[in-house]
Amino acid sequence: MQKLLIANRGEIALRIMRTASALGIRTVAIHTANDANGLHVRAADDAVEVPSYLDIDAIVAAARAVGADAIHPGYGFLSERSAFAREIEGTETVTLVGPSAAVMDAMGKKDAAREIAVGAGVPVVPSYANDADPATFAFPVLVKAAAGGGGKGMRIVRALDELDSSLAAAKREALSAFGDDTILIEKYVERGRHIEVQVLADHHGNVVHLFERDCSTQRRHQKVLEEAPAPTITQVQRELVTSSAVALARAVDYTNAGTTEFLLDSDTGEVYFLEMNTRLQVEHPVTEEVVRVRGERLDLVEQQLLVAAGQPLSFGQDDVTVEGHAIEARIYAEDSFGGFLPQAGRADLVRWSEAARVDHALESGQVVSTSFDPMLGKVIAWGEDREAARARLIDALDRTAVLGLTTNTGFVRALAARDEFRDATIDTAWLDHAEVAPPSARVPLTLAAWVAAALTGPRFAAAGASDPFAPDGWRTAGPKAPTLVALEHAGAVHELEVDAEASTVDSVVVRERSLADHVVVLTIEGRDELAVVNAQAHTIEVAYQGQRFVFERPDAFADHGSAAGDGTLVAPMPGTVLDVLVTVGQRVAAGETLGAMEAMKMELALKAPFAGTVTEVGVSAGQQVALGAMLMVVEAGDE
Amino acid sequence: MAEMTDLVAELRERLALVRRGGSESARGKHTARGKLLVRDRVDRLLDPGSPFLELSPLAATGMYGAPGQDNAVPAAGIVTGIGRVEGREVVVVANDATVKGGTYYPLTVKKHLRAQAIASDNHLPCIYLVDSGGAFLPMQDDVFPDREHFGRIFFNQANLSGRGIPQIASVMGSCTAGGAYVPAMSDESVIVKNQGTIFLGGPPLVKAATGEIVSAEDLGGGDVHARTSGVVDHLADDDAHALRIVRSIVATLPTQTHGRSPGAVEEPHQPPESLYDVVPTDTRTPYDVREVIRRIIDGSRMHEFKKLYGETLVTCFAKIHGYDVGIIANNGILFSESALKGAHFIELCNQRGIPLVFLQNITGFMVGREYENRGIARDGAKLVTAVACSVVPKFTVVIGGSFGAGNYGMCGRAYDPRFLWMWPNARISVMGGEQAASVLAEVRTDLEDDEQVEAFKAPIREQYETQGSPYYSTARLWDDGVIDPADTRRVLGMGLAVAAHAPVPAPNYGIFRM
Repeated sequence: MQKLLIANRGEIALRIMRTASALGIRTVAIHTANDANGLHVRAADDAVEVPSYLDIDAIVAAARAVGADAIHPGYGFLSERSAFAREIEGTETVTLVGPSAAVMDAMGKKDAAREIAVGAGVPVVPSYANDADPATFAFPVLVKAAAGGGGKGMRIVRALDELDSSLAAAKREALSAFGDDTILIEKYVERGRHIEVQVLADHHGNVVHLFERDCSTQRRHQKVLEEAPAPTITQVQRELVTSSAVALARAVDYTNAGTTEFLLDSDTGEVYFLEMNTRLQVEHPVTEEVVRVRGERLDLVEQQLLVAAGQPLSFGQDDVTVEGHAIEARIYAEDSFGGFLPQAGRADLVRWSEAARVDHALESGQVVSTSFDPMLGKVIAWGEDREAARARLIDALDRTAVLGLTTNTGFVRALAARDEFRDATIDTAWLDHAEVAPPSARVPLTLAAWVAAALTGPRFAAAGASDPFAPDGWRTAGPKAPTLVALEHAGAVHELEVDAEASTVDSVVVRERSLADHVVVLTIEGRDELAVVNAQAHTIEVAYQGQRFVFERPDAFADHGSAAGDGTLVAPMPGTVLDVLVTVGQRVAAGETLGAMEAMKMELALKAPFAGTVTEVGVSAGQQVALGAMLMVVEAGDE
Repeated sequence: MAEMTDLVAELRERLALVRRGGSESARGKHTARGKLLVRDRVDRLLDPGSPFLELSPLAATGMYGAPGQDNAVPAAGIVTGIGRVEGREVVVVANDATVKGGTYYPLTVKKHLRAQAIASDNHLPCIYLVDSGGAFLPMQDDVFPDREHFGRIFFNQANLSGRGIPQIASVMGSCTAGGAYVPAMSDESVIVKNQGTIFLGGPPLVKAATGEIVSAEDLGGGDVHARTSGVVDHLADDDAHALRIVRSIVATLPTQTHGRSPGAVEEPHQPPESLYDVVPTDTRTPYDVREVIRRIIDGSRMHEFKKLYGETLVTCFAKIHGYDVGIIANNGILFSESALKGAHFIELCNQRGIPLVFLQNITGFMVGREYENRGIARDGAKLVTAVACSVVPKFTVVIGGSFGAGNYGMCGRAYDPRFLWMWPNARISVMGGEQAASVLAEVRTDLEDDEQVEAFKAPIREQYETQGSPYYSTARLWDDGVIDPADTRRVLGMGLAVAAHAPVPAPNYGIFRM
């Protein structure tokens, strides 16, 4: 293999290029027009523009044009599209780093995959035939589209009388989403753990597994924290899932890296086959971190490339062992504490931890758009045991900062610190009902105030300068005045008193451990608190325990005044009343439009100066009014 | 005499008492209304961490009541000083409503006018934080009618504004009668709603005059003036908001063009507190004033002028906080030679545009037949002429005695130094108490024996002792404050920095008697 085209972007493209380059393989990136400055484009030896990351013809044509002899699809995009695999198979000069189109077809449909699994002796979720008597069902049951994925066309049915309507709805959704309304009815597992097994198969009939991962910490089927090995399974369960995964791979003549997913019923201990992912997984690094082959670490991408090049696996199952524990946290551009809304914007300041493995594609100054997957990177921590790995992960997330836009770092950090995660009791449904609290703003406010005061203080003045007005709080023959820092957060102005000499913030003693290069560490009440701070003229952003806090310096002219006044709306100009939208006694919100008037060829909206009740309406539509005429009166009160 | 450290401790104690402002109950009432205390207002007005060179904080000490007593008027009920707002040096004038409702006593007026004079001399924007009931009516004859009385405040506002020196007011409490003109005469003004009121006549006066019954808020509250009358330009929610608006106003002012940008400097080689040890607190004990100079100037290095001539006056070029200065310091009484040397040096500094610093410790000019006959008055006049007609910024620090004509030759208050500060060991009077008592006893013919002479002299000595105190001086605003000697370099640096804002005209001397 001489030249590899990577049909992907972001962190996975960088991840693949890293290994390819180490193996002496030239790399070719693809990119869309609006992604031409992507990190993966800069990292690659060559780059080709394509209309879309999903444009099979363009991508295969690009591979041929540049003379690539292989395409790595990464994950997502075209990685599991059999049409893509088939197109590549048709070229004869280019190889897909992945399984065959036929395998993708076989595993891509849930009902077909289930049949194959049953045939291979792999345990599957008990299901009911479509024509079975619903009276015999053990509720709850899961109704899902055979061709589905991502929760579409999926319904939990808890009682017999809900079945018909749920079936109908699932069919409708399945038909519109996948063009196929085949429905499966299965036992629904209330509390389960997501266990998956990494397999590797070559073109010479060799199949090995690389043990399992546990990805039970999910939110609406999106994995949030992933780890290896699984913390709760028994040796018997482990042997069952790993041998099943190998058996399934053999049954479909699987080649390259793949993952078989299982659901472990927490109540019964039963294990059921879910599906097989015919690609490299996002969470593959946790496997890389713990798996040893004859004591050496394994690079899964390297193995994929070797297999794709036709080489036999260089090791057998007996050579594979597990050492320690690894946990991965996915970093997304989303506001987890604000309804998990996707975020976009310029990442003004990005800091990744150097204390853990970080696979990412985000640098300071980069613009994150909503056009692509919101995943920015992954933080992977290894430890001698699970607790050590968890502590390192928390530490690494504490040192992770994305400022300028909000990410889920604070959320995953808080999650990793939860007792439930420590105790490995989080099942796949836990996040759908649990409340995870964001860190309090108290410590970040203290850190921000300390930094703000330090930045204005004499410490950062030009070296050797001797400004007699140096901001050291000097007072005429009296104690130095503390530095006052006013910061607005969540609608409230906090005024903090920083006394550099006494080393206090609001009279609480703090000890500065370090303050340089945007990173501050203060000992506050015996705890070392670290934050990444970006202090600008009007805004101070702080990443504390991964969470982004935006503190504004109060704006003297922001939204004041309008709340004052006596609530009498008077005509600002002589003119005609166009419309009166309220009546006496009506409650109105601040800023609500109460009516409109026209004057000097301009239409003016009459707005409530504050929330309250309309107590007087002095005009009607069409009426001519003089300058200063009373139009209506609003009396202040709650909305 | 007490040790300098004791004198500094006394100064700090006096200042700590004054900083509290009015009585505890007055302060309690003030803050209960959601208002900030005057020094808290100043802290929030200034840039975070900005130093504040408070002017005459001990004004009115003992003049209306002993310190700490109910009838005392701490700081004359008004805080004035220089600090930085949005990177610009400004003069702050802030009423303390916890002291007699912020009303203007005679010394309050004098202190307000002095702050405006400093703004005028140094081209500094003025910020007035108004919270005052107006003139203190029982003393109206010492507050209202004369040239340097209440009306002068507005005269100054108009003329300062006319010279492009911004006038900004924030009304944070009452602003009654004449006081109403402070915001009205300002370039731009702010009022705090439900706190600030502005009216020429308050509700009681209105009722008496016209029978109209009206609340203070309806008569001249924030809403009225911000929305209806247009007397103010900005309406603030509270004190903190008002101060943010004032800061925002200052940010719109032109950036100050400093005269010079001092480069990197070397601190004096001795710590400032070592001044306590080198200066004997008894003004009669001689010492080498160079020890003081070295502890004030950059790198403790000076270029001494005429070191070997007129040795009782030390003249040297040096730098303070990077600013060039010419220093004139007493090292004994003035003789003809020292006076001539001083006059020559002042001419040099004016020629070169270098500010002058006078370190005053002078009992006077030499007396006696030989000196009078040789014309010491003629040479003293040369020095006084040179000082009086000097156009470069002058700064005077009284570091010891300030007696007689020495006060004139060494740039006393009458010679318009930009700032005049006193050390706590300083003494100021026309002559020493003993000399005055002796002179007065000499001219009396009715004193028959030593006992009578002593009985005559004792009250005179006591009067001079009391009136010669730096606290007697600073109470009357004969100076801009008593300072800790260790702060001398810092306050001189601040003075030099602000003085650099105003251009220096060409010198033009009166006739030097040759």
